[in-house]
Amino acid sequence: MTSASFSIPAVPRRGDASRRFGWLMVAPCLAMLAANSIFPLIYVMTVAFQNYQILIPAPHRFVGLRNFEKAFSDPLFWSSLGVTCWFIAGVVLLQFPVGFGLAVLLNRLRRHQEALATALLVPTIISTSVAAFQWVQLFNYQFGPLNYLLGLMHLPQPTWTANPALALPCLIFVDFWQWTPFMTLLMFAGLRSLPRTIVDAARVDGSTGWQVVWRIYLPLLKPVIGIAIILRILMAFKLFDIIYVLTNGGPGTATENLAFFTYVQGFVYFNMGYAAALSLLQLIVVIILAKALISLTGRAGAVAAKE
Amino acid sequence: MVKQPSNHRIPFGVATSGFSRRDVLRRGAGLTFGLSGAAAIGGSLLPGEALAAGLVNIEVDAGQNENPFRWNAEAMKSKFGADINMIGLPFVGQYEKLVSELTARSSAYDLLVFPPYFMGDFVALGFLKELDPYFSLLDPKIDDDYIPVYKDPVIKRNGKTYALMYDGDMLQVAYRKDLFDDPTEQKNFKAKYGWDLAPPTTWDQYMQISEFFTRPPNLYGTAFYAARGFCYAWFVNIFAGMGGRWFTEDMKPGINSEAGVKALEMLVKMKDYAVPNILQVDYPALNEVFLNGSTAMVIQWNDLALKVANPKMSKIVGKGAYAPVPVRTYLPYSRVMAVSAFAKNPQDAYRVASYMQQPDVCITYVYDSNCGQDPYRWSSLKPEAAMKDHTGGPSLDAADAKSYVDAIREGLKAGYPELAIPGAPRYLDILDLYVSQALAGLKPKAALDGAAREWASLTEAYDPGQQKAAYEAWVKSFKDVGVSY
Repeated sequence: MTSASFSIPAVPRRGDASRRFGWLMVAPCLAMLAANSIFPLIYVMTVAFQNYQILIPAPHRFVGLRNFEKAFSDPLFWSSLGVTCWFIAGVVLLQFPVGFGLAVLLNRLRRHQEALATALLVPTIISTSVAAFQWVQLFNYQFGPLNYLLGLMHLPQPTWTANPALALPCLIFVDFWQWTPFMTLLMFAGLRSLPRTIVDAARVDGSTGWQVVWRIYLPLLKPVIGIAIILRILMAFKLFDIIYVLTNGGPGTATENLAFFTYVQGFVYFNMGYAAALSLLQLIVVIILAKALISLTGRAGAVAAKE
Repeated sequence: MVKQPSNHRIPFGVATSGFSRRDVLRRGAGLTFGLSGAAAIGGSLLPGEALAAGLVNIEVDAGQNENPFRWNAEAMKSKFGADINMIGLPFVGQYEKLVSELTARSSAYDLLVFPPYFMGDFVALGFLKELDPYFSLLDPKIDDDYIPVYKDPVIKRNGKTYALMYDGDMLQVAYRKDLFDDPTEQKNFKAKYGWDLAPPTTWDQYMQISEFFTRPPNLYGTAFYAARGFCYAWFVNIFAGMGGRWFTEDMKPGINSEAGVKALEMLVKMKDYAVPNILQVDYPALNEVFLNGSTAMVIQWNDLALKVANPKMSKIVGKGAYAPVPVRTYLPYSRVMAVSAFAKNPQDAYRVASYMQQPDVCITYVYDSNCGQDPYRWSSLKPEAAMKDHTGGPSLDAADAKSYVDAIREGLKAGYPELAIPGAPRYLDILDLYVSQALAGLKPKAALDGAAREWASLTEAYDPGQQKAAYEAWVKSFKDVGVSY
């Protein structure tokens, strides 16, 4: 009888060459992560507690919470926070119903769904700064096509972004124009993933179109809606490029949101300590907002699954 | 076992026979070093560096202000072998871009063109080379020909020369002489206001004329730079005429004084007589509303006169006339040329700067409608010079040239200097923000108090004693050349 011999491969031990090799392979990624995310974050946290101003040739000192106190007593901080909140509210309240409505209509089409969805996406894929330049021309009081058309109809020709009362609505409208298709696309994808049988069963039971939307689509899409709204809130919170091109924060500070205000403090006034503190405040607000929305979405998803 | 030929090995393939992990690492390291070496060699072959001998990289606000350099490029090449490379930066935002790059010791620019109000910061931060040691390369002729207000107070700091002039700016009234000379307009004006229609010499007169000619939608009394960026200058213009001062003697902000509030209230009121989209009106838009005949009168940088005479730009050729700003003439912006402390080619950069402001060179471009440069030498301030552009072709006609040059000379007598102490760009930007807020609806007093609060905190951050000394030295430099302040 011949005895068979087996060799069992040794389990790599800590410190083995292969283990070291594994670490070596991920090391570049870890280094990049540390250089691009962890170090800047730690640096911002450090600078936020200093009186660091690039243009003032004085030693940087630790100033405790003074930069944060300054933010809370700075009327421009509060006005920029107000602009941010109004902008987010305007954007989400307009984009969600319209985006959802368009998605339902798109979902009901029997043909050309993909072609239409692609066409709808055109504003979203245009570079934001290019889109903003286009709207600069459209809103031009003297030579803009909008006012030309209003003039033809003998209607009043507003000064659009030059009017402090209209400038923020103009920004909301531009964002609405650019990002509503994105909302539509997310909702459309959600609708297409719903089991067809549920809708068919509801129809057999005599549900109207409105009832299908209200009682089936909306409850089942809650997780998707939550994600879409979180994404839009986060994007709206950090909006910068459209403001920079279209209004430069003006007239006055009528369209200066938190992101723009932080940019001005950091890269116009080079007041790095204050700008870092503002960035940290924004980070905290965004984390709280995202956490709250994710919890809400999770709960909504669980309820929907139970139902 | 047959060893696989090396040329069949899959680069970076995992566990291929004859290709060990050590091989991967060795080759990876080799590739990394190879690539970084290639990058280093490539880096040294960048155009700016490879052609460093003779190439001068010139930073300037993009657009028409690059033209005088281009017009003189061939002459400079033949005289001292320098090639120029223009790098345009945005007009609004130039300071931020320059500070970001110069703080990082960027050598992207050899010659910097910027407004003198950057000088306080740039000298303090060591961004500029002192130019006196270079004078032997090409005599800059900084003599009595330099208009005093653009000489020592602007180009020097602490007795050393850091810059040479490129553009002598001031604000000026441009008005429609066809309207002002019309007998019916004159009669109606006299009947309404009780004095003869003429270019304004007080701010009350300016407001009355503006009100009189406000006939929407085709004609408006006036327009001014009301967009964010430089609207502060149109406030300071009035503020100066009302006796305002940047700071008090103990270095407290002077902008929220009674003169400041009155001036800002007047500027806000001026919106009623201005084109409807006034809050969007910036430099090009302000030119446009006068050139297309929408306004009877504007206050604008003085090069507008040259554009009025150019039929390619203007619908009102032959209808423009010029006068100094009422009471005091604010001298905002201007441009100087300075050699970057990090220049790769400082000698040629200096030569270019010195050449561009020679009396026989600058006279060719300060009266050309295709650039924004204005006179800064007495030898340029002649009506006959204002009748030619840089090619020797026609510019202003004799009457307009006289009106224009006389307005500049009168303006210089009452010039009000732009703040240029350390931190000036930030002081001015803060003021600009609050003036724009007032134009957008905030009460003028509240706006100026807000600006003053931020000014005080900025002075505190810089060190009040140091700022006071810098301010006093700056004021003295103007008083020394006969400018009252």
